[in-house]
Order: sequence, then structure tokens, then C-alpha cells
Amino acid sequence: MATFSVSGAAVRGIATSVPQARFNNITDTKTLPSDEVRKIVAMAGVVERRVAGDTITSSDLCYAAARSLLQGLDWTPESVDALVMVTQTPDYFMPSSSCILQKRLGLSDRCAAFDVGLGCSGYVYGLWLSGMMLHGGDIKRVLLLHGETPTRYVREDDRAVSLLFGDAGSATAIERSSEPYSPPWHFALHTDGGGYRDLIIDGGAFRDRFSASAADHYVHMNGANVFNFTIKSVPPLIEEVLNLAGRAKEDIDYFVFHQSNRFIIQHLVRTCGLPSDKVPLILDRYGNCGGPSLPLTITEGLRTATGRDPSTLLLLGYGAGLSWGAALLPFARAAVIRHLEYTTPKGDLE
Amino acid sequence: MRRPNGDQLLRLEDAVEWIADALATDPSLVSPATQRSDLKGWDSLGQLILMSALDQDFGIKLTEDEVGSMASVQDILDVLKRHGRLRAS
Repeated sequence: MATFSVSGAAVRGIATSVPQARFNNITDTKTLPSDEVRKIVAMAGVVERRVAGDTITSSDLCYAAARSLLQGLDWTPESVDALVMVTQTPDYFMPSSSCILQKRLGLSDRCAAFDVGLGCSGYVYGLWLSGMMLHGGDIKRVLLLHGETPTRYVREDDRAVSLLFGDAGSATAIERSSEPYSPPWHFALHTDGGGYRDLIIDGGAFRDRFSASAADHYVHMNGANVFNFTIKSVPPLIEEVLNLAGRAKEDIDYFVFHQSNRFIIQHLVRTCGLPSDKVPLILDRYGNCGGPSLPLTITEGLRTATGRDPSTLLLLGYGAGLSWGAALLPFARAAVIRHLEYTTPKGDLE
Repeated sequence: MRRPNGDQLLRLEDAVEWIADALATDPSLVSPATQRSDLKGWDSLGQLILMSALDQDFGIKLTEDEVGSMASVQDILDVLKRHGRLRAS
């Protein structure tokens, strides 16, 4: 069983970055009949999405978010001890995007940097890893980056996915906490590789490197299987992390869902008996951005300050793998929050 | 899409037409005997659209068993009947 509690860690800030280019599903879709588009939008809830185009990568979006966050926190690049980049849309197979970002951000060569190849559960796993890294060594500050450009692996005529995804990058600043008491973080992590084909890009990697089928180079999603997996996995996941933390649903200020699909989230909210005003949705403006949808929901969806400081967040990530996880952690009102639009392609090292 | 009128019970032919519309399919291709595999619009996305439409138009929130058991148009009609939305023939 993979459950963990981590103490002595604090989120100091979160920044997110989205491409400036907008795609309105209702008015801009040319590859599907308008009646069909309206039905899909009514079900999935995605009206507008941000799209990276052919030049912007996940590391570009994360770079912009990270630079803004470091400035907002007044952290010097030399003070960052570790950089974790979570992505399934890297710039290259080799080298890791984290190494490129270490250089672009001007971090020290004493900084540990590595990639994690997880999808929609990646933010929860990244928080867990970052929290664990603060123990047993001299790492005091971790920069957790999570970026995806799923619109770049979607076929425009595949109605299962073409109106769903948006692109986003994020940076989360995590620091060893020096406060006398900081509430621990709690995690529950799961995997079921039996569903690995439910969200997959068949070609282009080393199982089938030069697939002659163009379709193999784009994502394939079995929406019904993903739905069934989600409604079976998420309700017990919520109970599991609440039990681990010794908390009740009433103690949670926000349930931050991976923004997978409005119908699925509303189904889960109903099934789990959650108050809908504690479940922010940003799908209508940004679509499903993969794992970065969690930090994006925090920066763009948590508009109302709650009475509690710190507030308590329950984060839920679930998707490709199949992989899923929950994190329950405090979020201080003093944390820096930034959100920006990425405008200029910056493919070269700066 | 022909939307149901309040709590009015659907006649069989109206229900079949509603199903065809939800699945973006020509109504002439849809009958109670039609299987899921016969309809291009009843793919995995179509299944989600159908579930969402049952909720939005009839307030029917499918159980896990009902979701898994929908493999033919007759199965959808049975769901409508069980939830009191289909007029007895």
C-alpha cells in the first residue's frame, strides 16, 4: 500500500502559464459538424482552450511560470537545490527537459534535476517526491515544474479527444518549513498498468519507433474505460487520504480535481457527496490540460479566500497509466500566486 | 435534439428518435434491436454523451451497473422504462 505522510514541507507559491492563443470549440472547430460539437461541449464542458501551436513546448511554459515565481518569491536561482520536471510532452527524448530548464533558469550546477514521466496523476506524485526530498539531506528548496502540451498530440478529426485538451505549464515552490508547526502532507498513490492502452500514443517511442501509421503518432483514448476507471477509483481514493490524515470532508476547503471532463467530475461530486462550491472548475476556459490542470485550478479557480489559514486542499490526479493519487495538504494565504500568458516562443537557451 | 416535455412519458418512437439524436445517428438506422457495435456514433465518446444526455434531459443518473450493461438500444429503452420515462406499450 502506497500511503505516506510528510512533515516539515511548505508550498511557498504556485505560478502557471498558458499559451496566449485561444481556440473556441464552438466557433473555431472546422473538422466536426456543429451539432456534434455542441453535444460534446455540453457533455465535457470545454468551451475554450489554450493551444501551443507548433513551436511552444511544455518546458517553455514551465520556464515562464518558474521565472515569474522565483521573482515573486525573491528566491535567487542559486538557492534552488532541486528541480523536478513532470511531463509526458518533453522537448526531446534525450536529454531531460529538467536539464534544459536548469540552464535556462540559471540554477546552480549543485542543483539536482530530473524528469518524471507521468500524466494526469503527475502533480500529486511530484508533490510527494518534492516533500520527500526535503528529508535526509541538505535540500531545502525544490522547484516542481509540471507542463503538458496535449493539443500537439491530438488528431483534429478524432472526436474523442479533439475538443478536450488545452496546454499549460506550472511551477510550484516547495521549501523545508521552519515554522514551529506546519501541518503534514498526506498522500495515497495507486497504479493499474492493466489499463495502459486506455490512454496511449502507440508510435514514436521505442516499442514502435517509426510507425508507418500516422494515427499511431497521436493519442488514443478509450473514453468509456477511462470513465469507468475514474468513477471506481476516485471515491475510495478520497476516503483513503481522509482516513490517513484523520480528517473529514468538512475539514477540506477545496477539492481540486484533475480537470478531466465536466460530466465525469460532476458525477464524482454527486457520488461522493461533495459540496459543489468547494470543487472549482476551470474546464470551460482552459480545457483538460493534463496534470498541470491541478496547479492551474489553484491559481485560476480558488478565487474566494476561505476563513481558514492555512486552507486545506485535497488534490486528485488520475489518468494515463492507469495512475492515480491524492494529496491532502495545507495552503497558506501568504503563498505567492501567479498566472500569466506565454507569448513569445523561446526555443533557444537564454 | 427533441427534448422531452417536462415529466411527459415518451412513446417508443419518440424514445428511439431521442436515442438516435443523442448518438448523432439517422433515426432510420435505429431500432430496439440495434446493437452498440452497429452505430458509428455509439463509440466511447458517444457513450459519455448518452449518459450526460440522460442526466440533462431526464434527470437519470445511471448506476455503475447500468453504465456497464448498455450494449443495445433496447438496453437504453429499459433504462428509460425503469426510471419511469417510457410509456408502457
